[in-house]
Amino acid sequence: MPEEEGGSLIHVAIEAETLFKIGPLSFTNSMVGALLASVLLLLAAWYITRRSALVPGRLQSALELPVELMTGIVAGSSSRWRGYVALILGFFLMILVANWIGLLPGVGTIGVAHVDPETGHEAMIPLVRPASADLNFTLGLAMVSFVMFVYWGIKANGAGGYVKELMGEPLYMAPLMLPINLISELSRLISLSMRLFGNVFAGEVLLATMIALAPILVPAVFLGLEALFGFVQALVFALLAMTYIGTAIAEHHTGGDHAADEGHASDHSTAAEAAAT
Amino acid sequence: MTDDGTGRRDGPTGGKPNWGLAFDLGLRLGISILIGLGGGLVVDNWLHTSPLFTLIGMVLGIGAAMVTIWNVARAAMRK
Repeated sequence: MPEEEGGSLIHVAIEAETLFKIGPLSFTNSMVGALLASVLLLLAAWYITRRSALVPGRLQSALELPVELMTGIVAGSSSRWRGYVALILGFFLMILVANWIGLLPGVGTIGVAHVDPETGHEAMIPLVRPASADLNFTLGLAMVSFVMFVYWGIKANGAGGYVKELMGEPLYMAPLMLPINLISELSRLISLSMRLFGNVFAGEVLLATMIALAPILVPAVFLGLEALFGFVQALVFALLAMTYIGTAIAEHHTGGDHAADEGHASDHSTAAEAAAT
Repeated sequence: MTDDGTGRRDGPTGGKPNWGLAFDLGLRLGISILIGLGGGLVVDNWLHTSPLFTLIGMVLGIGAAMVTIWNVARAAMRK
């Protein structure tokens, strides 16, 4: 259901809007945002790999900064950090760029006119929408994260061990504990995706409202805040994914003393989160 | 992790607030109950047994929320 903000100029819809269709597939404006973020990251990666110098220049330093920051944090999470550092870095960089694309001039404000055939109401469909303001994108990332921490749990203790963990102890409590543990696991998936989507979408609505109410100077304050929130949300998503993977490894890796290790695994990550927030 | 329940922690970072974990925990508690309740409603609509599975789902959701708290608290106590 599209929501109007400030007349027909500003238009913020909860769902991503279709720009055109390729057969049965819809190409939405959030896909444009995701593609833009991917292209920017690929260009940055190309620059770093082809033109990097031993003594980095300003651009190289700026590009290396987030990578070094996240690598440093992930390295403290568990002894097996090398196995998942690329994934966590990928999450962080993709979400960061996707969030910050929403702050660029023209994103959300340049679009095509669209007349609703049912209501006859005219609205603008933005050509680019930040990918993380689309629940499909955030849910996709959360599903990748979910699959990875289940994979690490199974890798550390085998499929049987993972199922046994879900059933809990003693075994006769399994009919009760299995659904409870499944709900608890699923809540991670949904909390990861809803948190990111909710924060970024709320930021988009806030910016659109402020631009409609006071087009000069005032939005600058909120743009600054959104830049900060975009960074924090990317960091929180990456660190929570890291916490879950670290916990899955710690729970199964050391057997009896898993609770302490669980605390240890989450300790490093939450310490980093705390530092960031 | 040594969370003292006030949102502050003693640790390598020297008593910085642990808002990230606290926020994640709060969100997961609500979502756990919603999943249980929603699942129960779906099953009840499917089998026409309302409100049996809604209640069971709600209890399981609350149980899942408690298990989530317990896991975090256990880790804190063992540390």
